[in-house]
Amino acid sequence: MHARLPHFARRAVRAALPALLALAAPLAAGQQVTVITSFPKELTEAYKKAFEAKNPGAKVEILNKGTPAGVAYVRETPAGSRPDVFWASAPDAFEVLAKDGLLQKYDPGVVVPAKIGNYPINDPQGFYRGQALAGYGIMWNTRYTKANRLPDPQEWGDLAKPVYFGHVAMSSPSRSGTTHLTIETILQGEGWEKGWSQILQIAGNCAAITERSFGVPDGVSNGQYGIGLVIDFFGLAAKNSGFPIEFVYPSVTAIVPANIGLVNGAKNADMGRRFIQFALSEDGQLLLLDPKISRLPVLPQTYEKAPKGYPNPYAGTIKAKVNFDSGLSDERYYLVSALFDHTVTFRHKELVAATQAINGAAAQLAAKPNPRGRELLAAARAAAYTPVVEESKTKDKGFVAVFRQTKRDADATKRMTALEEHWGSAAKKNYARAVELANEAARLAK
Amino acid sequence: MSTAARVEARDVALAFGKTEVLRDISIVVEPGEFFTLLGPSGCGKSTLLRLIAGFNRAQRGAILIDGRDVTAVPPWKRELGMVFQSYALWPHLTVAQNVAFGLEERRLPRDEIRRKTRDALGLVGLGELSERRPHQLSGGQQQRVALARTLAIEPRVLLLDEPLSNLDAKLRVHMRHELGQLQRRLGITTIFVTHDQEEALTTSDRVAVMHQGVIQQVGTPMDLFDRPANRFVAEFVGTINVVSGTLQKSIGASVLFVSPQASSFSLPRTEEMPGHGAVTLAFRPHSLTLAETAGGGTRVWLDAVIEAREFLGEFVRYRVRVGGAELIADQMHFGGAPVYAPGKRVQVGLDPAQIKIFPEEAEATVAPARAAAGSA
Amino acid sequence: MSSRASAPQIAVALLIAAFLAAFLVVPVLTVVYVAVTNPDGSLTLAHFAAFFELSLMRESFWNSLYVAGLTVLFSTVVALPLAYLTVRFQFRGAILIQTLGVLPLVMPAFVGAAAMQLLFGRSGTVNLLLQDWFGINIPLMQGLNGVIFVETLHYFPFILLNVSVALANIDTAMEEAAQNLGASGFRLFRRIVFPLARPGYVAGASLVFIKVFDDLGTPLVLNVTNMLAPQAYLRVTSIGIEDPIGYVICFILVGFSIAAMAGAAGFLRGREFATLQRGGAGAPRRTLTRWQAAIAYGWIGLVLLLVLSPHLGLLLLSFSKVWSYTLIPESFTLANYATVFTDSTRMIWNTLVYCGLAALLDVVLGTAIAYLVLRTKVPGRQILDHLATVALAMPGVVLGIGYLRTFRGVDLPFTDTPLVASWVVFVLAYSVRRLPYALRSCTAALQQVHVSLEEAAQNLGASQGRTIHRIVVPMMAGGIAAGFVTSFVTAAVEISETILLTSRESLAPMSYGIYLYMQSIAGRGPGAALGVIAVIVVAVGTYFSHRFVAARAAHQERRG
Repeated sequence: MHARLPHFARRAVRAALPALLALAAPLAAGQQVTVITSFPKELTEAYKKAFEAKNPGAKVEILNKGTPAGVAYVRETPAGSRPDVFWASAPDAFEVLAKDGLLQKYDPGVVVPAKIGNYPINDPQGFYRGQALAGYGIMWNTRYTKANRLPDPQEWGDLAKPVYFGHVAMSSPSRSGTTHLTIETILQGEGWEKGWSQILQIAGNCAAITERSFGVPDGVSNGQYGIGLVIDFFGLAAKNSGFPIEFVYPSVTAIVPANIGLVNGAKNADMGRRFIQFALSEDGQLLLLDPKISRLPVLPQTYEKAPKGYPNPYAGTIKAKVNFDSGLSDERYYLVSALFDHTVTFRHKELVAATQAINGAAAQLAAKPNPRGRELLAAARAAAYTPVVEESKTKDKGFVAVFRQTKRDADATKRMTALEEHWGSAAKKNYARAVELANEAARLAK
Repeated sequence: MSTAARVEARDVALAFGKTEVLRDISIVVEPGEFFTLLGPSGCGKSTLLRLIAGFNRAQRGAILIDGRDVTAVPPWKRELGMVFQSYALWPHLTVAQNVAFGLEERRLPRDEIRRKTRDALGLVGLGELSERRPHQLSGGQQQRVALARTLAIEPRVLLLDEPLSNLDAKLRVHMRHELGQLQRRLGITTIFVTHDQEEALTTSDRVAVMHQGVIQQVGTPMDLFDRPANRFVAEFVGTINVVSGTLQKSIGASVLFVSPQASSFSLPRTEEMPGHGAVTLAFRPHSLTLAETAGGGTRVWLDAVIEAREFLGEFVRYRVRVGGAELIADQMHFGGAPVYAPGKRVQVGLDPAQIKIFPEEAEATVAPARAAAGSA
Repeated sequence: MSSRASAPQIAVALLIAAFLAAFLVVPVLTVVYVAVTNPDGSLTLAHFAAFFELSLMRESFWNSLYVAGLTVLFSTVVALPLAYLTVRFQFRGAILIQTLGVLPLVMPAFVGAAAMQLLFGRSGTVNLLLQDWFGINIPLMQGLNGVIFVETLHYFPFILLNVSVALANIDTAMEEAAQNLGASGFRLFRRIVFPLARPGYVAGASLVFIKVFDDLGTPLVLNVTNMLAPQAYLRVTSIGIEDPIGYVICFILVGFSIAAMAGAAGFLRGREFATLQRGGAGAPRRTLTRWQAAIAYGWIGLVLLLVLSPHLGLLLLSFSKVWSYTLIPESFTLANYATVFTDSTRMIWNTLVYCGLAALLDVVLGTAIAYLVLRTKVPGRQILDHLATVALAMPGVVLGIGYLRTFRGVDLPFTDTPLVASWVVFVLAYSVRRLPYALRSCTAALQQVHVSLEEAAQNLGASQGRTIHRIVVPMMAGGIAAGFVTSFVTAAVEISETILLTSRESLAPMSYGIYLYMQSIAGRGPGAALGVIAVIVVAVGTYFSHRFVAARAAHQERRG
């Protein structure tokens, strides 16, 4: 004896029924392509519209996921129901997918250049191809920098300077494939120790470590932060959308492809292939030049149609010093992410406090030089900006492998969390020590 | 007990928005007196009481306690004790905590508080219930706790806002006895508000009858009953028969009363009688005599027919029709007394000495002077 | 009401129990189970140990408690004076306060957060002005502060409404009796007024605590990740559905929420204040002195300004082209709305469908449960009532993760679409968590229908089913409609479960769309435009919900 529906509800249900059935009916399987990507709405919307226009009856389904989440999703979905196309600007993620057998070979019949500089654009085995190119750089809000009298930055190292304290923003490599690449680029360009030192100093100048890579350009765009470490199209798109933004490629940068690949066990591989073909066609490449998107096409001939001043990696307008080793990056992917999280992201407050103390002491010592003070200051810097994992450990395969577990085993979890916890507390101690030392140094300079 | 205070309201007028609730009120309550404000609902009695307590502000006039003008003094500083119609016992406090409240506000030492609380509860006979909560008590017990709560602070004046109206009939009678006894024992000036005239008459030293914001009469219960100042008081206090008519020419020592309702008859002229003109005659049911034939003496005899009869034990209440009017006549009942059946023609005898004559007047224009004069 | 439960009644009860079991109990228990077991099935506390070893987790735990607690505190500070003002004083601004009680609830917290960022953030309007005039910068939106600020402004109406009702129910004679005995001012409030209003306060405050403790959307939009709910989401999405720490977090979220609910219920049970006495009839409200009135209006003005700020900010943002480091947007456009209407019609449609169906399901279930509890003797019917009510304490994050885990590999019948990748899962998830609202409305509505009205119908020959159809449900119509609208409206702006359950854009409802649009580098304008539409939907819905309730009350008065 259950309650009957009141009249108005019954009528509403009757009216909505046909629409519901339409929803429930699986879309004609032959016409849907599912693309899993971390790209923003402007890009996916543009491609979706263009592809559907070119292929009447086709439907593009976008699964919007951050790269690590996307990889996890593909891995966890049973074969046969997986999305068709994986499209992201993180080649290391593609490495991971390929290694785990989650991609299938496909040749779209378009000639995509093999390398950019020294970096391979496509997978030599054919599991994925480059679809666009991107560099990493620094974007800043000109109104903000003018109001706070900050000089325009040029290199990563600039961002470690005291003048930028509290004005910078970056994301974390575990959240953002692009940030991970940026960090790896710095590490490969400057070496493990020096690279980490620089990263820690920059992080110490950060007002925030954001949750997604979008948080950085978004914050810089609306003036919340002054300067951000971003992938180039964020900076360029913001600038081209009318925001008071400038963007620069530092010399320690790499041009890295955004890749597109066909998923193994995809639901609709045929449509997947068609989509990849489109993305690599001239029309597909031209879409990247839209000011709201501002990405670098992978096909050199597209640049002939680009507006004047548009960065052209093939023409050498971007000085990229680093030869990115994606194998190395892939190996230590999780290690680097975890290390960053536990010594930077989750200890950010302490790191900032250390940086503040160090900057303060440095300023004092500049006014009143003191040799003992200088020593202490150097020690403080060493305490704060030395990574808690030495380079030698990173060469130990076994050690690095601990972080590649898929976290099912309670024991493995325990080991990993124990390590992470150790790093976290070590970092905390270091930063506190740095504050102590710096304050001592400052006292001497009085 | 602290000394009882004298309470005075002087020329008070109060309106809520456009509605005048109290008009030109002046009363004096003597120390130790049990003074009742009596009237139908809406007459302003509760408003007056609350005014004295300090929960209202009058537009005009003053409230004086022991000669001191307290009009501007907030309620928590007036040192009066008030018992509310709903008792207003706090449900989150025990009986003892409720009673101790006022003492705690006065920052008395703890053992003194405990002693006075015990004494107050003892006064009302609720000593064993001190740890109960209000919702665990009966209506009568709650009322006594409310009383104890006020008595604990030994106020100079006790204000009671219809405290018995939520009790059932028997309890009400019992409680008003107790209340009266308690008041006499403690000697606190008490101002009691009620709409029940029986309550007022049985317990009070003096009563002020109010109607539409005006005091109609102030006097002892017997005063009000025997010598009502106007038609309203006459009708409100006790049962009374009312006949309208005109007083016409005097013939020697008598004056003719002509009424379209009842028949006309002569009344002996007295000094207090108003002059010729429209009047209302009022006379109590027990002042009428019923008989088979007209008797003699000073009574005025009129033809009547018995319409209905109620047996009330001590007396029989007859409704008789005289001309166009229906009158109530109460006849004392005792064994062997004549009893008349409905439909019987009888003679009803009025006692002129017991007839009150009021000139036709607008209800609420009783001169303040009359109210303040009290029973004097 | 018969003395035995009939078979159809029992059948319905079982059906409802099955539904609740499948879509509420099992997913939550699954989550709880994973948190305390090893992959091989043996019980273990190792995951909890691992959780507490991670300083990030301890920090997140503390932060969640801290944020929830401070939000309750600040909400109290904002709401209590307002409640006392409306109820106890002759106050012309009363209508303003009533608006204050509704306005914040119309804007979902995570939508308002983006606008608040632009107004109160580091380089927001307010701080730019302060920097210019006084050289100071108030970190209102910094880290946890931002979450507390936004949540307080959104949730204080819960306390305002509950306390207002509680205060209004206090017989003014209670206060006057205390005044008569010498109490005044703050002492009066502390000793008499607040204790009597405390049940209402506790009900409101515990609800605020639970909701803030479990909130996922607001911290995410504000980029605050060191709180429990965001951590659970992040771990599940980046590390995978297997991460046990994520489940431990869910366990804690559920545990605390239930504890708060149970605590509040226990507290209220011993204090049957509301039933004792109704508001005093005769006593008029006190008037304010000039001085008091000035303070009162000042406070209301300030709160009103703060409450309006996310609305204003959102509106400005929706019309803005570029808003960067300026007091207000420097260029305006209608293009955002155009974008939204062309690109998001699907999402708006999805919201209508999901939330409409969920609300429908809710009122059907709500009416059925209310009837079973109030009118039948089916054994165990109270359990249904409790189950449905406890859904209020279920965090969206937990239910989302629970669904993903429990129904992994389960396909929609007759199709090969996984349940968790279909539209059906939205309807289920929304309806389960909105059921408490619908149930409350339906119960209240049914309580107003005196059983003698049903008995009269049965006396004249109608069976129980016919009676329900012809008499009971029509008489409950106002309450059912109000329950429908409340369910719909709260589901329309739900973000916690939505973020977890949205696998593809074509299935995304409006709330997800707003979240997605807010991630656009070309400006948050379209996100704000969609947000404005969401707010309008909620506002219209709330208005109609009140109309239904008011119409029913007026109808009752006319008849009774």
